[in-house]
This record gives sequence, C-alpha cells and structure tokens, in this order.
Amino acid sequence: MSALGRLKSWEGLLLALLVIIVAVNIEHSPYYLGVGNIVNLFQLSIEKIIVALIMTLVIINGEIDLSVASVMGLAACVLAWLFEMGTPMPLAIVGGLLAGLAAGLFNGFWVAYVGLPSLAVTLAGLIGYRGIARILVEDHPIGNFPEWFNLVGQQPLIGPVTVSIVIFALLFVIIAITLHSSALGRLVYVIGNNLQAARYSGIRVRLVKMTLFGASGTIAALAGILYAARLGSVRGDMAAGFELDIITIVLLGGVSIFGGSGNLAGVGLSILVILNLRNGMGLASITGNTQTSVIGALLILSVLVPNMAQTISNKWNGRET
Amino acid sequence: MNWLQRYVRPEQVRELSLLLLIIVAVIVFGSMIDNYYTSRTFNRIASSVAIITIVAVGQTLVVLTRNIDLSVGSIVGCTAYFTGTLLAQNNDLHPLLVVLAAVALGSVLGAINGVFVAWGRVPSIIVTLGTLAIYRGLLVDLSGAKTVTTDSLPSWLVDLPRVNLFAIGEFDFRAMFMLALMIVIIFQVGTSFLALGRRLYAIGSNPDAAKLIGLPIKRLVFLTFVLSGALSGLAGFVTLARFGNITVEAGRGLELEVVAAVVVGGVNIFGGSGTIMGAMLGAIMIGILEQSLFRLQISEFWRDALLGLLILLAVASDAVILQRLRSLWARADLKFIAKPPDDGPAPERRAPP
Amino acid sequence: MKKYLLATAALAMAVSINHGVQAQAMAKPGEALDMVLLPKFLGILPFDQAHQGAQEAAKELENPTPLQFLGPTPENSVAGQIEITTNATTQGVAAIMISNNSGDQIVPAAKAAQEKGIAVVTWDSPIPSAEGEDVFVAQVDFSETGVVMADMALSILGEDGGKFAILSASPDAANQNAWNAAMKEALKGEKYAKLELLDTVYGNDQSEESYNQALALVDKYPDMELIMAPTSVGIVAAAKAMQDEDLCDTVKTSGLGVPSEMLAYTMNGCAPEFALWSFVDLGYLTYQTAYAIATGALKAEEGASFKAGRMGEYTITKDPTRDAGLRILMGPFSVYDKDNVEAAAK
Repeated sequence: MSALGRLKSWEGLLLALLVIIVAVNIEHSPYYLGVGNIVNLFQLSIEKIIVALIMTLVIINGEIDLSVASVMGLAACVLAWLFEMGTPMPLAIVGGLLAGLAAGLFNGFWVAYVGLPSLAVTLAGLIGYRGIARILVEDHPIGNFPEWFNLVGQQPLIGPVTVSIVIFALLFVIIAITLHSSALGRLVYVIGNNLQAARYSGIRVRLVKMTLFGASGTIAALAGILYAARLGSVRGDMAAGFELDIITIVLLGGVSIFGGSGNLAGVGLSILVILNLRNGMGLASITGNTQTSVIGALLILSVLVPNMAQTISNKWNGRET
Repeated sequence: MNWLQRYVRPEQVRELSLLLLIIVAVIVFGSMIDNYYTSRTFNRIASSVAIITIVAVGQTLVVLTRNIDLSVGSIVGCTAYFTGTLLAQNNDLHPLLVVLAAVALGSVLGAINGVFVAWGRVPSIIVTLGTLAIYRGLLVDLSGAKTVTTDSLPSWLVDLPRVNLFAIGEFDFRAMFMLALMIVIIFQVGTSFLALGRRLYAIGSNPDAAKLIGLPIKRLVFLTFVLSGALSGLAGFVTLARFGNITVEAGRGLELEVVAAVVVGGVNIFGGSGTIMGAMLGAIMIGILEQSLFRLQISEFWRDALLGLLILLAVASDAVILQRLRSLWARADLKFIAKPPDDGPAPERRAPP
Repeated sequence: MKKYLLATAALAMAVSINHGVQAQAMAKPGEALDMVLLPKFLGILPFDQAHQGAQEAAKELENPTPLQFLGPTPENSVAGQIEITTNATTQGVAAIMISNNSGDQIVPAAKAAQEKGIAVVTWDSPIPSAEGEDVFVAQVDFSETGVVMADMALSILGEDGGKFAILSASPDAANQNAWNAAMKEALKGEKYAKLELLDTVYGNDQSEESYNQALALVDKYPDMELIMAPTSVGIVAAAKAMQDEDLCDTVKTSGLGVPSEMLAYTMNGCAPEFALWSFVDLGYLTYQTAYAIATGALKAEEGASFKAGRMGEYTITKDPTRDAGLRILMGPFSVYDKDNVEAAAK
C-alpha cells in the first residue's frame, strides 16, 4: 500500500468512526444535538485542541513538546500576577503571551542550537515552567478579572459561537495553509523525514525548529489565557496534565511520533472523534477512569484493526507481509 | 592518552561524564546544606531511588529497541494493589511467592503491551498511552475504592524497608536499594555481554539491517515489554512494602519520572544507544536533585522551578562534555578516517522507520 | 476547645429552636429527582463512604431515580469536574452535589447550572466565593479544624509544647488552605504559646512525595517533634516514613486521617491521635439537603431549617469562615486514639 493510500484509509477510518459515534450519540441522548451541547462539546476542551494544532507541526518535524501544559499554566499565572500588581488587562495578556513565546524559544534554543533531545528539554520545561507559575501565585488563587475578560471566555460572540472557537477555527486554517501549502510546511516535513539529509541540502534547520518551538509556546500561552478567561480565576495547577491528552489527539490523527508524516485533516478528524466520544459518554454518565479507558482502547484498536485487516487480506492474496 | 584513545571509545566512558556531574552536584549541595555529608543523606537518596531505578532498567531495555513504555506507572499501581490485596487475605503466604505473584502479574500486563507492539504492529507510544489509561481504569473499577492498609499486611513486609543487608560504618545498605543495584548489575552484564542484549542495540540502531541479518525482531521486542512489565511488577512489590497503604492512586505519574531518569541517563530515546548503568545514574542524579532541594532553606514554591532548571543543566553539561570527548577522539582518529562534516548538533539522529 | 464546642453547639441549637418552631421543613419522599453526586475524583475511600451515605438517604427518601455517582480522574480533576457539571446541566438534572476541587474555577459552570434551575449543593469543600452555590454542607467548622489540630498538637507534645511542621496536600486545595490558616490563627492563642510552627510543605496527596517531604522535614529541622498532616494521604505517608526510620519515639504524626488506614500507626504510637468526621454522614446529610432544596421544601436562605432524616434537624446559617455564602454545619469532629480507633476502623 502506498503512503498516500495508507493516509487516505487512515482518514477514512476516522471518518467512519466519527459517523458511528455521532449516530450512537444521537440515538442515545436527546440532548446531544442541542446547539448548546454542540458548543459545549468544543468549549470544554477548546484549549487542548488549540494546542493540538501546533503540536501536530512539532511532532511532524520530528520533535515533541511536553511542556505545553506547563506553558499554559505559566502564561495564565503571569497574566494573573501582572493583573494583581495593577497592570491593565490588555498589557497583562501581552505579558502572558510573551512569557509563552520566551518559554518556547528557550526550549527551541536547547534543541536547535545545543542539540539536546526535545524530550529531555521539554520534560525539564514541564517541571520548570510549572515551578515558575507556582512561584508567581504561590498558594492563593487570583480572580476578579475585568468583566470583559471573563465574557471573552464564557459568552458567545457570533450566534452561539464563542471567541475561543473562532480562534480555533482561524488557527486551524492558518496552520493548515502553513503546513500544506507553504515553504515552511514543506521544510517541516523534510526535516521530520530526514534531518541529516535536510542539513546537508542546506535547509536552515535551526531556524525552522526555533520557529516551531516559539509558535508552540505562544499558542500554548494563548490557550492558557483563554482557559483563564473561561474559568474566571487562575491557580498554580492550571492545565496540569493536559499534555498527554493533547499528544493522544495528535497521534490518533495519524501523525507518526517519529516525524515526517501526518496531516492536519487527520488531526481535525481525531479532534472530532475524541470530543464527540467524550461528550457522548458524559451524557451517558460514563466518567472518570472508565472514560479514559475507552479512549485508550480506541487509540489502540484504531491502529490494530486496520493492521490486522491488512495482514489478513495479504494472507488471502497469498503474499508475505 | 594515545593508548587510551585507541582502546576506549567516548561512548564507553559516557557514564563517566554523568558520574562527574553527580559529584559536582554533591559538592555544590554539600556547601549549601548543613550536615549534608552524613549517612542520613546517603540513606535517603538510596532508598528514594530504588523504585525508579528498577522501573528504569526495564524502560531502558524497551527504549533501546526504539520503543517506549508509558504504562509502567499503571502496572506498578496494579501490582502493588493486587499483590497487597492477595497478601492481606492470605497473611502467611511465603514471601517468595508474593514477589513471584507481583512479577507474574507485571509480566502479563507487559506481555499484553508486547503482543500489540510486536505482532499487532501498533506503535509502542500508542499502545502504552492506551494501556496507561486502561490498566489504571481496571484498577479503579476492580478495587471498589478500597485501600490496602498497613495493619492487614504481615509484619515482615511492613518492616522490609528497614531491613539492612549490611552497613559500612553509618552507611546502611538497605535490602531494597541492594535489590535495585542487583537488578542493575544483572541487566548491565546481560546487555553488555550476552548476544541477546547486543541484539537489542542492533534493532534500535538500525531495524532494517537487523531484519536483513535475520534477527527475530518481533520476539525480542515482545521480550523487552515482558521484562519491563516484570520489573514494574517488582517495583510494585517494593512500593507495597515501602508505603503500606496502597490506594488505586499508587504509581500515578511514575512514567514521566522514569522517562526523565532514562533520558538524563543518556539513553537515546530513538533507540540504539545508552546503558542500564546510565539509566541508574540518571535516576540517582534526579534523586539527588530532588532530595537536596527538599533540604535547601528555600521557599516550597521555588523547588520545581529549580528542579526543572537543574535537570536541563545536567542534560546540557552532559552533552557538552561528551561532545568535547568526541572531538578529542576525532582529532586522534583523523589520521585513519575522514571526519564527517560537522554543521550542526546531534548528528546521531535516526531515519524514520 | 470544649468551651468552644459547647458554645457553637449552643448557638446552633438556639438558632434551630428559633426557627424550628415555625419554619421547619420536611421534604416529601418519593419524588423522582435525577441527582448527581460529584466527588473530587473517583477511587478513594472517603468519597466512596460519602456515596454510601447518599445512597442510604436516597433509599429513605424513596427517590425512584437512581443516584448518579460521577467523578473525574485525579489528574484531570479540575477540568473533569467542570465537564461533568456542564453535562449534568445539559441533561437538566435536579441537583448537583459537588465536593469542589476547582476553587472558583467552577463558578461559571455552577452558575450556568443554577440558571437552569438546578440545585447546586457543595460538600466537603465549598466554592470559595460562594457564587453559583446554593449552600455548603460543612463537615465541621473550618475554624474549628484549626483549633482541633492545635489541641492535638498540644496533647501530643505535652504542656511544654514543642516544634512542629505542617505537611499539607497541594497548594491549590481550598479546604486545606483554610484549615492551615485556621490553625495558624488558633496558634496565636495564649494556650498554644509554646507550640512553634516551623514550616508548611506540600506532598500533593501523593504517597511518594509526602513520604519524602516528611523525611526531609526531619533532616531540615532536627528539633522537630511533630508532623501535622491535615490530609489522609499525607498522614499515613508521614507515619510510615517515621516508622521506617525508627523515628516514632522522637517525631510523632497527627492530623486528619481515615481510621482504617491509621489503625496500625495509632496502635504502635507513631500517630497517637488524629481526627476526622464521618464521610457516610456527610454524604447522607448532603443528599437530604439537596433533595429538600430540589423539591422546594427547603429554601436556600439564612435561617431556614429542615429535618434531615436520621440525623435530625439542621438550620442554614451564614458561613462565618467565608466572606459570603450559606452553610449547614454537620460536625462534630471525632478525635481518635488507642482507645477508639479499632472500633472505628471496622
């Protein structure tokens, strides 16, 4: 099977899964199709799926960023800390975004210029950035943000659609264009496919990696700030542990952890699959570890079943795998 | 020096650079903390790294073959809990049987991972991200929120953390630390000298070549997952002994600590290089940093920020020292072979599978 | 301490007598109400006990709709609680009973639930700002927790007092923070002048971290004689650490713990005294309260009182431990030692 065929079948599989899940949800819960529920379905995980978009690029490029959740927390805490010191809210937001950018570039520096594995660097970042967030807010939550800030996170903007959802949609388009029809996007794939070859052919590997890590930090910070607006108050443990959910979404989207393959359509479908599944289970009162177990099983089966099918069909055709 | 350079490669002394960093860390902390150079500090660090080290040995085996096992924390939790329940119901079970039960349960859970990865051809990160959630979910469902409590366990187990195998002066060598050390030595010897061990390196550094020369890749990968599960099971037993009270939360988040130890220990996450000793040194390095930060007279809230920074510094200085060593060797080698063009860091990267 | 208890009891009684005569409400049993009990997370004993208590109340009130016990996973507690609250709102349940782990972050979701006419009752841990919450069912008076802990410290360390440290859960746990603050407040009293609080550290409710933190405290403060852990995970980890290091004679452990988990350490003297309340009763009272509010038999306003089945009469008062909000006070504490821990552990 060609790489293209494999990818197509992957998205086909996700689409089929999505159809099944949606059908079951409609059958099962009268509340599922309500406009409010569909908005909630996105809104409840909006920060994770925003970060999943940029994580897709990072992983296709052959790296990983485990620090995103801590950067989300850091940005929210920087914002809250600045706000508490009397900084006007718009400036505090800029401060939060800059903190994210700085954290991302700091990761990028060690990966691109010093040559450390991104897993190690961002694992240190996961601990360290959370630590800085903790220093800023210590043990007291910060809230009472200006009303408009909370409204941004909680109120609909166009019809029932919230600001965060609009931002997600815009980012999806921007990142899709960047990845699939820009020079940078091509470089992301080339480097992810074969770093050595990319280097020998004169590609500015370091610049690309710095760009991606910087973008990852900034977008994580944006997501963290939206999270703060949605919840209306900030604590040191904000978004802790989100990284595994984010990476799960990207991997289910068919992106190879070794880099070089995957696309944004797959990740988009994966987002829809996971969000609808979670929502359906939530409405059916399936929560906690049972819910995560089902998603875990889905993750394994979605790769296992096509593999098995292929093996069987190859045997049928009398070929060796 | 020339003689040395001919017979020893930088990769063979790679652990030395980490050892050097550990010594530096101990000296620095010693100058900042009163009563640091005491047997107590040694005992604390030794017993705190035992669990991580045991799991990290199994993780290293898996990582060598270009795979990863993220389900270890859930396996530790399951084995600690279920072995504890078993023991609470049959207090006079022979200790050896208890350990065997823990290892067996761990092996079964590891084997499930292994089957999916080796024969199901599902990437290991996907399988173990899935089983990380599934094993924990099973534990929560099957336990009915009950806790294994210390008073229901036999006294030999509860007292195990206190058992000293021997002591040199004030320095206790406790049974659990020695167990971890023994595991490290066994697997270090195994991976260095046994053909089986060397094959793991072959698979990780070049899977295609390994296949061409006819290595049973599937069986070997399966074996590493079983071993990782078995060692996690053993760590589950140690967890049970150490904490006595086991809730369904036991071992949660352990996977990240273990991966950190392995990565700091210089094991290449993309397979093919790194050693068991290295993983242990990584665990010890992190243990020293954590334990020492606990004792520094600093605000609670600064600890994590410093820990992150110090881990990064450890990894970075390790890389720099190694690079220096390599270029030193390369200069000596120049007479024999041409040096590859060096226009960027980390040239030892993998091709996509 | 006794005086304080008596005073609060008297006050509570006075209030309930005042209102009990004219306004005592009784919820009509047998109504079909969809009710959700939402713990901080699933899988640990105290919340399971609360679930038992709530089920007992549900049976007594003959609610034909089964109680939903829904909770997130521990690592996803905040986002999970918000998600479950939002989904329950979508389903239009009658009442949500939350042991809040999300501080004020749950306010938007809880407000949305209230706007849909859902009764939002918190228990175990309240919403700090009280926004979006009808009433908080408090297991004990949060300022009293500080006094109880200070009293236990004094009783363990003796008249001469001594130095001790707090091993708390996470810096984000609102009820833990309130208790620690209450304890610091109580320590200002003359009675406790000889107690010295050295440090507050966090074990994040993980055994390993709590265990290491407890040992680090011993190393850091050689003259420390007591570790006070107001968390059921921290207290057992600390007690085990002291036992493993043969330190039980010099460093005692105390705080809030579950009797069955503490039995061994109380009997061998590592943790001679600790306290807790009944989570079964807390679940029972919470369900009774939520049911009464959801049926309209009880209005969530100051002074309203009602009969909560086997536990008798309760009155809604202002919550003196928060700036705003109403509460129902369950109380009192049970303090456990060698004499009564075995019976309680069963």
